[in-house]
Amino acid sequence: MLEAVDIAKSFGEVQALAGASFSLAPGEVHGLVGENGAGKSTLIKVLSGVLRPDRGQVFLNGRRVVVPSPAVARRLGLGTVFQELTLLRWMTVAENLLLDDLPRGRGGLVQRRKLADRAAAVLSSYGVESIDPLEVPDRLSLADQQILEIVRTLRRQPSILLLDEPTASLSAGQVDWLFAQVRRFRTEGGSVVFTSHRWKEVEELVDRLTVFRNGRDVATRERLDESEAVVLMTGRRLGEMYPPVPTATSEDVLLEVREVRSNVLDGVSFSVRRGEILGIGGLAGQGQRELFLTLFGARRAKGGEIVVGGQRRRIRRPKDAIRSGLGIALVPEDRKQEGLLLPLSVRDNLTLPVVGRFAIAGLIRRAEERRHVGELIARLQVKTTRSGSQAVETLSGGNQQKVLIGRWLLAGAQVLLLYDITRGVDLGTKHDLYKLVAELAEAGHAIVFYSSDTDETAHLCQRVLVMREGRVVRELAGAQVEPEAIVAASVMETAEV
Amino acid sequence: MSVVRRSRWSYLSLQQAPLLLAFVMLGITVAAYVLFFDLRLHHLPTAFAWDSTISNALPLVFVAAGQGIVVLTRSLDLSVGGIMDLTNSLAATHMHSSVPSMLLWSLIVLAVGGATGLVNGLLVTVGRLQPIVVTIATMSILQGLAAWVLPQPGGNIPASYTNILANSNSPLGLVFIGVVAVFWLLLRRFRLGIALYAVGNDAEAANALGINVRRIRTSAFVLSGIMSAAAGLFLAAGSSGGDATGGDSYLLASFAAVVLGGVSFFGGRGSVIGVVCGAGVVTLLVSVLFYANVNSFYESFYQGIFLIGAVLLGMVVTSLAQRRARGSLRRSRRRW
Amino acid sequence: MADSAAGTSPVGWDWTKWWTTQRRNIAYSFGTVVLLVIIGGILKPGILSGSSLSVLAELASFVGFVGVGQTLVFLLGGIDFSVVWVLNAGAILIAVESAAGNGSLPGALAITLGMGLAVGLANGIGVAYFSIPAIVMTLGANGIVEGLSLGLSGGLTCNTCKDPPAPALLTGLNGKLAGVPGDVLVWVGVILLVSLLLSGSTFGRRIYATGVNPAASYLAGVGIRGVTVAVYALSGLFAAVAGIMLAANSGGASLGLGNPYLLESIAAAVIGGVSVLGGRGHYVGTVAGCLTLVVLVAILNAELIPDYVRSIVYGAVIIVIVLLYGREKQVA
Repeated sequence: MLEAVDIAKSFGEVQALAGASFSLAPGEVHGLVGENGAGKSTLIKVLSGVLRPDRGQVFLNGRRVVVPSPAVARRLGLGTVFQELTLLRWMTVAENLLLDDLPRGRGGLVQRRKLADRAAAVLSSYGVESIDPLEVPDRLSLADQQILEIVRTLRRQPSILLLDEPTASLSAGQVDWLFAQVRRFRTEGGSVVFTSHRWKEVEELVDRLTVFRNGRDVATRERLDESEAVVLMTGRRLGEMYPPVPTATSEDVLLEVREVRSNVLDGVSFSVRRGEILGIGGLAGQGQRELFLTLFGARRAKGGEIVVGGQRRRIRRPKDAIRSGLGIALVPEDRKQEGLLLPLSVRDNLTLPVVGRFAIAGLIRRAEERRHVGELIARLQVKTTRSGSQAVETLSGGNQQKVLIGRWLLAGAQVLLLYDITRGVDLGTKHDLYKLVAELAEAGHAIVFYSSDTDETAHLCQRVLVMREGRVVRELAGAQVEPEAIVAASVMETAEV
Repeated sequence: MSVVRRSRWSYLSLQQAPLLLAFVMLGITVAAYVLFFDLRLHHLPTAFAWDSTISNALPLVFVAAGQGIVVLTRSLDLSVGGIMDLTNSLAATHMHSSVPSMLLWSLIVLAVGGATGLVNGLLVTVGRLQPIVVTIATMSILQGLAAWVLPQPGGNIPASYTNILANSNSPLGLVFIGVVAVFWLLLRRFRLGIALYAVGNDAEAANALGINVRRIRTSAFVLSGIMSAAAGLFLAAGSSGGDATGGDSYLLASFAAVVLGGVSFFGGRGSVIGVVCGAGVVTLLVSVLFYANVNSFYESFYQGIFLIGAVLLGMVVTSLAQRRARGSLRRSRRRW
Repeated sequence: MADSAAGTSPVGWDWTKWWTTQRRNIAYSFGTVVLLVIIGGILKPGILSGSSLSVLAELASFVGFVGVGQTLVFLLGGIDFSVVWVLNAGAILIAVESAAGNGSLPGALAITLGMGLAVGLANGIGVAYFSIPAIVMTLGANGIVEGLSLGLSGGLTCNTCKDPPAPALLTGLNGKLAGVPGDVLVWVGVILLVSLLLSGSTFGRRIYATGVNPAASYLAGVGIRGVTVAVYALSGLFAAVAGIMLAANSGGASLGLGNPYLLESIAAAVIGGVSVLGGRGHYVGTVAGCLTLVVLVAILNAELIPDYVRSIVYGAVIIVIVLLYGREKQVA
């Protein structure tokens, strides 16, 4: 039905696709799996006309087609739900849904009232009752926005549906809704391309799957078990992914949080000891991000106390956190938007929080700075020049993440808040990062760890706090730290506080 | 179960808070105008006073409407004053008092404005340049051209032309304001109008939805050019002549009107109807200051204060409306 | 120029990495200056005489002072429209306050510079703490300063308004040291100072970081609001400095003195490769931009081309230059 042959696409020096092929049979759900950066999203963007391939051909029903723009893709019957949301934040849900098919009256004028009614009808025909057609996406939850995006694509009745990570922000019930829609679409004769990082979802939904690695397709199978898939995707075995959990021996509490409140947080208390990796679990969007930002001073707390190394601290901005005795540091999920200063040098990125330490009267002592930077680059084995003069955007993802963590080691932070640091990182680098996290704990840092991947939290942490609606609803320790237990605690209806 | 719907009023107050604020401010300024007029002259404003105020407002109404459209697409046009400079000079030097000449030169002037907008738009979209740099450069070029066309203030605008475009003895000006309003309300309901908002909301997303972003952004600049050219015609008609620097002060004023009208500088939110109100506020403010016996030297002082005050007020209102919305959203979540 | 230390590392030396877009753009702009001077020398050899060059350097210095602020503000991704009347108010203030003679000069300087600093601070606070768009805030501030300047001086009709500033200032700035005018010497000092600030100081690091990505800088502990306020304050300060220089140069203040300098300061920065989007560029480039502008005008004036052509040429040059190297990567 849809066939991609030998597609290649490069961004600068990075080759995202290096001759990838796959073919989609009529009436099937075809899974694309692979590490982040394996080229799945790029391929979907090429097929949808968002990116132009450097090389390769696309065939639709046996005929060669060129897809120069999203509009053309749509005309060819391709409907795509992209990983990045493409909703217009301040236009109404109705306008978003019907943008290409606005109800027109006399003289081509759009009829507003009809627009809202029709949008409501569209939403309920897909079983979505909770979204108000006159609301604006800016005020919808992330999950609702994702659902809206899916409905918008389905409504155009494409013959081929391309779903790039559609479940990332959905709850379990919403995932079931999506799967029901996909199956309905398939019974009506449509074909689906589906990507997800959750193996269980792939297993449950797809008829056939293609494994990607380094911008190429390496295998297409009807059935594949997880460990086999991991080997195909990475060349590594599943059990080797995680390092042994470090055993926290110290009783030395580095960070204590008492009844912290904010707009989202509803009285969060916990403590972390030296050498401990404390996991924060729960469904997406239950206040975890808010907690990390609040502890780091990037969000205003409305009450509660933060005790660092036995001393109460007022943390009202990141600077306070960095300078609070032992030093608190945050590594954010989105390293390109919130972490690194991409066009600046490795050196500038490393020393930014503490550049004052290398300066006299505001003037930077270059030799001193270079010495520290050189040592750190060597210690973390960042693949760049010793001087660190290379722009950080030219490094690979894993090396970028090392620079980001290295920044806080240079700053001497003892408490590390690691928020979803493996997102968008390939499996090989993930492995390196797990090792680094364990090493940091062993070296005496206290680590608070959140990951959108529950497996990671379960395998890395000694203790896990499960959050729901801005509160800690469950604490799991020792043998209790299992992925299933974390998920169960996340969805439990009655909270035990 | 049917899809949740809230009352119309609730949407209006949440999503259109800045527009409502623009109406309220226009109301307050009109009241202040009446008050200070009465205090100074001991009678209410006459029909003539109203008519001349309205015709004074026309250049700003048009130029600000154009600026508003550009700002909606998350861009800005610094060349509007330059376009007014050139167009009012062209009209003052070429127009004769015959109907064909007036019609012809009006059209030529509008075409010049549109062409300038097209150049701006193409440089921004096809040339991939920053709007601020492009339009400040074209502003300079336009100012030069205007000085070439009309080295000294002067020229001549036929009296009959002035009577149509800037008549202080009839409320004809309201018709022109109505034209702008109707034009916008219609545009808002055509695909182009909706696309303008879409591009201002998120150009990349709009592109992924199949909207030709370059064409829409260019169209916004073309509309702004035409509107600024029209403003130049009203300016020439109002002063019965031309001035190659006459449009310069309208740049600040157009931004003031856009801000007062509640159009977000981050694009995608606001309405040209609000901008028209904003233009009314800015124009009336000058009269209010005059009747309040404020030394005219201080005029720009008060305009500056008012511009910054209006932005702050608009932010407060928007954030209050959003807080209310968030609160109700959270409450409705809890119930679920 | 911006940063020579990176290249001196024994392991890290790599020509391709040192030759960044920023350095290339600065080299281009100096190349343009040299080219223009050669063209000028051919068209009218008089331009190359010592006295002519010193006049050109003086003219460039006025744009250069305003350009300091505009460059710094650009590096943050902002823009400063208030330079026009801060400059003009600065010229009026220095003339009025120091009209009594040399004894009043220190006080006059303090008041004038203080005024510029205060307006800049207000701009910075509006932009950083109240998130007012820079263009709106600085246009508003420009209006406020204009209204106050006109109102308080009665439209420059006050007794001392037309007086020249104190003689010491006039002789200091207009006199020559080894053939170089005083104001040019001050400019050279400013160039060195600002270059050091941008390339070698913690403040400079923080400016670039904030301009590249404010959110990430904030999360790295940079006080982005403080940086923003300081940058706008410096912009106000240097606009006032330009006012002092112009008042001294023309022997008094006049209305509309600042009008050309908004466009020229923006043009100089843009020609010098400073990006309005923030994070890219250096004051050294702006200096080349200032020189380009004055040499260009000198050539045009030498060829007896009317004044309005200058305006057209400015615009055209800006567009050509940004088309050559100021293009964004990709606009959807």
